Amino acid sequence: MSKLSEQLLAGTSKPTPRPAMLVLEDGAVFAGTACAAQGEVYGEICFNTALEGYLEVITDPSYAGQIITMTYPQIGNYGVSREDIQSKKPALRGLVVRDMCTTPSNWRSTMSLPEYLTKENVVAIEGVDTRALTRHVRDHGAQRAVLSTVDTDPQNLLRKVRASQSLVGQNLIPTVSIAWPEEHPLSAQYTAFLEQPQEARFKVVAYDCGAKRAILDNLVRVGCQVTVVPWDTPAEDVLAMNPDGVFLSNGPGDPDAVEGTYSQVQKLMGKLPIFGICLGHQMICKACGAQIEKLKFGHRGGNQPVMNLLTKRVEISVQNHGFGLMFPTLGELVPELSGGVTEHPADGDLRFWVERGVAPVVQNDRFGRIQLTHVNLNDGTPEGIRLLDAPTFCVQYHPEAAPGSTDSHYLFTAFARLMEGQQDYLSIDIAQDRLSGWTFGENEPVGRAAEGEVE
Amino acid sequence: MPKREDIKSILVIGSGPIVIGQACEFDYSGAQACKVLKADGYRVILVNSNPATIMTDPGLADRTYVEPITPGFIESVIEKERPDALLPTLGGQTGLNAAVDLARSGVLDKYGVEMIGCDLAAIEKGEDRKMFNEAMAEIGVEVARSGYAYSVQDALDIVADLGYPVVLRPSFTLGGAGGGIAHDEEELVSIVSNGLELSPANEVLVEESIEGWKEYEMEVMRDRAGNGIIICSIENLDPMGIHTGDSITVAPAQTLSDVEYQRMRVASLAILEKIGVETGGSNVQFALNPDNGRMIVIEMNPRVSRSSALASKATGFPIAKFAAKLAVGYTLDEVVNDITKATPAAFEPSIDYCVVKVPRFAFEKFKGTDDTLTTRMKAVGEIMAIGRTFEEALGKAMRSMENGRGGLGADGKQLPGVDDPEQLRANVQRPTADRLFYLAEALRQGMTVDEAFALTKIDPFFLHRINDMIRVQENLRGTKLEEMDADALRLCKRYGMSDVQIAHLTGTTELMVRACRKILGVRPAFKTVDTCAAEFPSSTAYHYKTYDADETEVAPKTRKRAMILGAGPNRIGQGIEFDYCCVHASYALADAGYETIMVNCNPETVSTDYDTSDKLYFEPLTFEDVMDIVDVEDPDGVVVTLGGQTPLKLAQALQEAGVHIMGTSPEAIDLAEDRDRFAAIMDEMEIIYPAAGMANTFEEAVGVAKRLGFPLLVRPSYVLGGRGMAIVYNVDQLRTYMGEAAKISPDHPVYLDRFLEGAVELDLDCICDGTDVYIGGVLEHIEAAGIHSGDSSCCIPPFAMSDANVEQLRSIARRLALRLGVVGLLNIQFAVKDQIIYVIEANPRASRTVPFVSKATGVPLAKVAARVMSGEKLADMGLPADDRRLSHFSVKEAVLPFGRFPGADSVLGPEMKSTGEVMGIGPNFPAAYAKGQLAVDCSLPENGTCFISVCDRDKRSFVPIARALERLGFNLVATAGTARALISNGIECEVVGKLHEGENSIMERIASGEVHLIVNTPFGDRTRTDGYEIRTAAIRHNVSHMTTLAGAQAMVAGLEVARKRGLDVVALQDLPQWDF
Repeated sequence: MSKLSEQLLAGTSKPTPRPAMLVLEDGAVFAGTACAAQGEVYGEICFNTALEGYLEVITDPSYAGQIITMTYPQIGNYGVSREDIQSKKPALRGLVVRDMCTTPSNWRSTMSLPEYLTKENVVAIEGVDTRALTRHVRDHGAQRAVLSTVDTDPQNLLRKVRASQSLVGQNLIPTVSIAWPEEHPLSAQYTAFLEQPQEARFKVVAYDCGAKRAILDNLVRVGCQVTVVPWDTPAEDVLAMNPDGVFLSNGPGDPDAVEGTYSQVQKLMGKLPIFGICLGHQMICKACGAQIEKLKFGHRGGNQPVMNLLTKRVEISVQNHGFGLMFPTLGELVPELSGGVTEHPADGDLRFWVERGVAPVVQNDRFGRIQLTHVNLNDGTPEGIRLLDAPTFCVQYHPEAAPGSTDSHYLFTAFARLMEGQQDYLSIDIAQDRLSGWTFGENEPVGRAAEGEVE
Repeated sequence: MPKREDIKSILVIGSGPIVIGQACEFDYSGAQACKVLKADGYRVILVNSNPATIMTDPGLADRTYVEPITPGFIESVIEKERPDALLPTLGGQTGLNAAVDLARSGVLDKYGVEMIGCDLAAIEKGEDRKMFNEAMAEIGVEVARSGYAYSVQDALDIVADLGYPVVLRPSFTLGGAGGGIAHDEEELVSIVSNGLELSPANEVLVEESIEGWKEYEMEVMRDRAGNGIIICSIENLDPMGIHTGDSITVAPAQTLSDVEYQRMRVASLAILEKIGVETGGSNVQFALNPDNGRMIVIEMNPRVSRSSALASKATGFPIAKFAAKLAVGYTLDEVVNDITKATPAAFEPSIDYCVVKVPRFAFEKFKGTDDTLTTRMKAVGEIMAIGRTFEEALGKAMRSMENGRGGLGADGKQLPGVDDPEQLRANVQRPTADRLFYLAEALRQGMTVDEAFALTKIDPFFLHRINDMIRVQENLRGTKLEEMDADALRLCKRYGMSDVQIAHLTGTTELMVRACRKILGVRPAFKTVDTCAAEFPSSTAYHYKTYDADETEVAPKTRKRAMILGAGPNRIGQGIEFDYCCVHASYALADAGYETIMVNCNPETVSTDYDTSDKLYFEPLTFEDVMDIVDVEDPDGVVVTLGGQTPLKLAQALQEAGVHIMGTSPEAIDLAEDRDRFAAIMDEMEIIYPAAGMANTFEEAVGVAKRLGFPLLVRPSYVLGGRGMAIVYNVDQLRTYMGEAAKISPDHPVYLDRFLEGAVELDLDCICDGTDVYIGGVLEHIEAAGIHSGDSSCCIPPFAMSDANVEQLRSIARRLALRLGVVGLLNIQFAVKDQIIYVIEANPRASRTVPFVSKATGVPLAKVAARVMSGEKLADMGLPADDRRLSHFSVKEAVLPFGRFPGADSVLGPEMKSTGEVMGIGPNFPAAYAKGQLAVDCSLPENGTCFISVCDRDKRSFVPIARALERLGFNLVATAGTARALISNGIECEVVGKLHEGENSIMERIASGEVHLIVNTPFGDRTRTDGYEIRTAAIRHNVSHMTTLAGAQAMVAGLEVARKRGLDVVALQDLPQWDF
């Protein structure tokens, strides 16, 4: 920025501009100014379309190895409220925004986002035409990128980014998983907004591949006592803990590289109720021997429609994944359970089943009949499956939201119902579940039981 | 679920005339609904009394009834058309109320009409505060603590518990009419007593005050499978206490963390479910305590609303269109996202820009009223601006207002009362139309954000952004333009500064700044509104400008392009009529093979629907913004004559910049607009016009008056819409006027015209192609000269003017159009007095009456004009003979907003005050007039007591009217002078004394509902007179009243005809129609 520009910014909320630069491996260059920690970071460039909830995104461990672009231009508006943080430490590599707010406003905020990022040593750039960047990524696919505040020579950066390591094949889980088992205490978060959890009825072991705190909290809220274990904990150890159910968490990176988890999941399946989210879903699919593909550009945001084929209800889902299940690789269709259809649709578009109102079932070599339960209505990709011959179900998206729509919260209830042994555990009306857990009274979590009234 | 097959025909009720709180957004939603239902194969029957709407174009519905929206007329339509279903949620509160009336009175049951989208029970639960509060308690969502008052004493009792201040909301009133905040007992008594009268249920809700809290709106949609989505969240910049329609609002919500947002989201969806909205769009409003996040639901509207129109424009998600589809049984996942054309509508739009809406006010039109903004809506229009940041959007918004401002301050315009710090603080604290400018000025003078927050309760997030904008402006001040580099210029632009502001701050001109920007390569980019933040490709060209300019998204030119400049914000004098014309031009030019480009900044309109034109630019109508679009679009022509004064005043500058103006050339426009040049032409053509003069001082004015003689029509120069226009009858009035004119338009002369007292006024709309002239219509005004043509009711064809006179008018119009060189529309105003025809003025552009004339004659004038502008000849278009005799009479009646402005005088004059219009169609003039009155007032006074007080001038002429009133069965009551004239003419009448005199004074009788009709004709411009008090009382108590002799005469004739022959309904499709 020119000297005169700096003078024009005097007395505004903007810091003195320091140059920063983002370079993609295909040569695209985006210049801006630094708005958090100094440094040079490498990662996969991706974007997130959530309108609010930047803090939950930034602290989501699934973003390990990635440089996130927020498509909403002004970020940091309501500052940082500690209760919203999803992990002990942000796992992302870098952050790209159009405009970073240094003067936030919200009654819960304790510091500004740039202060938080600087404290956590996260490199961030502002002033970028993030829409142009998003369109570039959309059209040219996810790729490696470098974000630097120390070197702003595009040629240098391009050379360096092309030499950096790709996300494909990387196992990033060890960087975000806990080291030894621990009980998950309910976070102090949202006490102004959420009711007290239900009494603990189930013992659940949660594989931590980089679990968001909101997931574990939600398990606690539906009555689980949650023990978090490292990502590669042997199945035998888990069984020895004699839990009522096992939960498989979200996590970053290429699922094919996470054998340490899915090989153990394979041993656990059929033995006790299992629920997986995101990477957890992929772990179950891998355990069934299915193939996972890398999407051209992932699903990341809070507004994608998913249909529950069992209830025909549409959920506005929260998504954050760059890899996805190839549904036909789970097995051949069982025509009598699939509306008489014998062949998977040739183009792989699962909206085929939405149109027919059928939740198809395949015959899996390892675990018997598997049903497709959820489909993404935007692009026809699989979003959830359940095993008919084992107490296991999983979804590719994020029912814990944080950030985003809580439409799919019912899946936590479904897990509780599964552990209770209910057959129709997944058939829950979103509307009936909508308000569960929330409180709207005067900042008093206790007392205003909405339960009976909602039903 | 696919669409319902058991329904074949659907009745849609529109929202009627444009009034404050219910504007053309309902034409936008209704037009979308009609289109989509028709496309789905349903037979659509429409009732709407407003002729200036796209939805009442005969092609949009199968059966279009431009009839009063009253239960009686709608029942007649139902009886004739036998619809299977009624869709009540798209016609605003008017449509909803009409539907409720029909349901309650059993009409729907009688004819087997099913209400779709939302049933009676849900409407009642949503609208009735008591039922609503109970429903909220059941789902555990908080509402403000409150109680119901049925008397002033009730209210006092409730306040004893709640404490002051309290919010007062009369039940079932439009746009919160009659509501307010009471800080003490005096205010409480005043608002409650007024509110009890306004409320159809005679009840007022008394509520704990949440003034100063943050205010949010959620736009929600739901389908019959139970899928619910949020289309848009809106955060009000102005805190609670200011009606959301009067607030600056921002989308998406800016200062909610995710958990707060999600809590609001689930509450919104649960509220819809609880209220029982089966399908469609609803709006839920919340207040949030900024200190602790406590959330309260304020209200929900189980219908599309002003906010949903805004949300549709802000996100690209067409709420009304989809609401109509959902009402007939589709589910959200079955409806395709209009913008991406690939993904389903079952999603929540993600946007990657910031939207700011700013209301437009018209307080200058209503002298004597308090201009403080309250919970009662007073805005007459609004604009919306899109930018990548709040700063960019706000900067655009503040130059879109058509109020002469170049942005948020720093444009060389002075505000009064900024030099005294105390006065400035007071102006920052008090919410008014200009508050943001005062805030900017205060920040400029060094007020801190904390201080500003304490005074305004505007969230510090916004205050910091505004402060940044001001700091950048101040840092720039005094810099020389030639010292500016590209970075610095771009930075100014990113902080929302216009070229005008940069020019002011650097001491140069707008054109210099523009040239300098281009040399330095600081050009804007155009981005796309795509509902998905670029996640998916989109095929819809809905663009906005930004200085995030790494990439622009405008498609390359493949065929000839025509650009249409819209009318900007609705305000009094420039309303929906001009948008109607722009939309028609767009359709016509598309048919003529052009790629059409619409530029406008009014979110309420059909023109800013992204599927009206091939391309939509949501941008301010300033030279800079229009030229930036011209630079990327390279249009073959630009239409400036259909959007009222807004684009017209750009014509000259655009042409000088090398833009081809379609139709009438700027030179010809100037010929008609410049008084001296126009007078010269009329002299040359021997056309008579009223004698006129010009004066700078009172003394000069007296000189002119001596030459011309009284009465005089006087007006300041350089103002629009009759602003400051008045009639003066003597030297005293002239002295007062000259003093006031100096305030309105200092340093400019005042024009004085001989006023043609008692003359008949006529409007004529015609189209000229340079060779031929087509007379679209001749409209005879009902009120005599002296009433602004926009406020005057008028009739087509003329009801009393002789054929010979009309032919003279036509001949003058033809000659004048050709002489001026008009290519397109020309409106001429005539006055006829003593058989002499005077030309008052000629406007070489679409006039306010074009839509009405088009509906009345069946010839779509704006379309024809657009075709002519593109080079076609009238002779080739197959138009019907323009001197054919029409089979029916059509009356346009103005709708006035006095009820919104307590204290303002309702007397009509040369300054326009109406917000909208209705149309009545009948076999003769009185029948059409009666329908017009019904469309405005909903009922005609059948009999009862008529109070009469007319000025001396009118006493003799009033006698026959009084006789007719007597014949109709009215008991006449009159003030002494009037009574004397009546009694001496043999008419029975009761004499009353001064207004407040006696036991049961006339004012008391008006207040108690004993008076059913009032005729009061004023004389002169004295406002604080008895007449003023009578008229304001009539408004307060909703009594039909007339302030002109001609109006009274027409009313009486209408009453007689209606009583004798009844009033039938007629569909436009049964009248001759021509389409092009």
